[in-house]
Amino acid sequence: MPKSTFIVIEQSYIIRKGLISLIEKIPNTQIILQIDNMNDIDNILNHDPDFIIINSNLLDKNVTDCLSKNIENVQMILLSENHKNSFNEINWVENILINETQNSILKKINKLIGNRISNQPQRYTPDEISEREADILRNIALGYSNKEIADKLFISTHTVVTHRKNITRKLGIKTVPGLTIYAILNKLIDLDDTN
Amino acid sequence: MIITKEIKMADVIHVNYYALSVLNRFGIELGFGDKSVEEVCKQNDVDLDFFLDIVNTFVDKDYFPKKHLQTFPVKLITDYLQKTHNDYHNSNVPEIEELIEKMVDSCQTQKDNIVLLKKFFNEYKEELQNHTNREEEAVFPYAHAIENAFNSDKIDTSVIELMQNYSIEVFQNEHDNIEEKLFDLKNIIIKYLPQPKDVKLCKKLLHELFSLEQDLNDHARIEEKVLVPKIREMEEIINKRFSEESKNA
Repeated sequence: MPKSTFIVIEQSYIIRKGLISLIEKIPNTQIILQIDNMNDIDNILNHDPDFIIINSNLLDKNVTDCLSKNIENVQMILLSENHKNSFNEINWVENILINETQNSILKKINKLIGNRISNQPQRYTPDEISEREADILRNIALGYSNKEIADKLFISTHTVVTHRKNITRKLGIKTVPGLTIYAILNKLIDLDDTN
Repeated sequence: MIITKEIKMADVIHVNYYALSVLNRFGIELGFGDKSVEEVCKQNDVDLDFFLDIVNTFVDKDYFPKKHLQTFPVKLITDYLQKTHNDYHNSNVPEIEELIEKMVDSCQTQKDNIVLLKKFFNEYKEELQNHTNREEEAVFPYAHAIENAFNSDKIDTSVIELMQNYSIEVFQNEHDNIEEKLFDLKNIIIKYLPQPKDVKLCKKLLHELFSLEQDLNDHARIEEKVLVPKIREMEEIINKRFSEESKNA
């Protein structure tokens, strides 16, 4: 299962650490940034998290405007003292209350992680191609020749060629550099792998 | 629809506004009122038959130039192709680069992906440059040499040697598919790139890519349907004349 990454933004040390220790109880989660202010939004955005949990006291019009423009794939969770419908510029996926019980918070976060993973299967096995084709594509993108791929996967070169033809037909991408970009966009390989 | 010399030049643009770039390469400026294609060509000192062939090849991909119209000199064709090359390098490509650069700057969350696109396009740019260089350095001079020989009274053996080392057939075979990568780039943006926040930039970029692709396809058609057949015919006649001349000698 892929890891879900979190950024926690909360001014109170105790609440921040408490919330983090809660999230870390959930398997496959990772806190990639914890801060107590909103002074450096660029830094936050550069971390490219799956979830941002932020205390409503840290929000103002400027912050929400900037966030709403720049978060496309991030799920935003509002941390507050009571239910309130403010800062509607941001599409909050959940509201966690300071005085909520441990069970209730765990339930909410678990549900969000579950939704996220079931909503984005194409990030790991693209819809357009089969798992076997994804294997082949991964190797093409890594720069292996037909012969090398055949040897690696214990199949004939002819089969590799057939798979390649099918991949190109299904994706509408003909060139190796094009296929490489597709593989990176769909997280079949990492950008660093190509260098 | 086939554009004829009687049609109003303004209507040519209405049929396909991309043809503007063709007019531009002939040095024809807008503001021609209700003048016909023939009148505008005459006014601008443009070879009418050549213009019709080029503009029809551009607007209709199935158009086949009539043989008897191919009377214009090879120099006209290569000059036109040279101008299309200049357009790619001085206008189309820089515009696309600028748009991609803007996308990189304006995007926060998927900078990596856009940088990837940029890299891809840079590779493409290099390929395009190699492609046009080869045409300018090898193909065009060859075409001129063939035409010179064709027009001379006596066929020189050096031309026959030249033809033995290279022929327009070789060019046609090695003519790689320069549009393929562009096609991929379009499809990646249309189908697979997570939509960046700035949709406007993305649309503009696609527009530019489509327009460059259209122009490249047109460029390839002019080579295939006008230049190559013309040179091939000259090659055949030169060979024939040479064998007759050597028989008589």
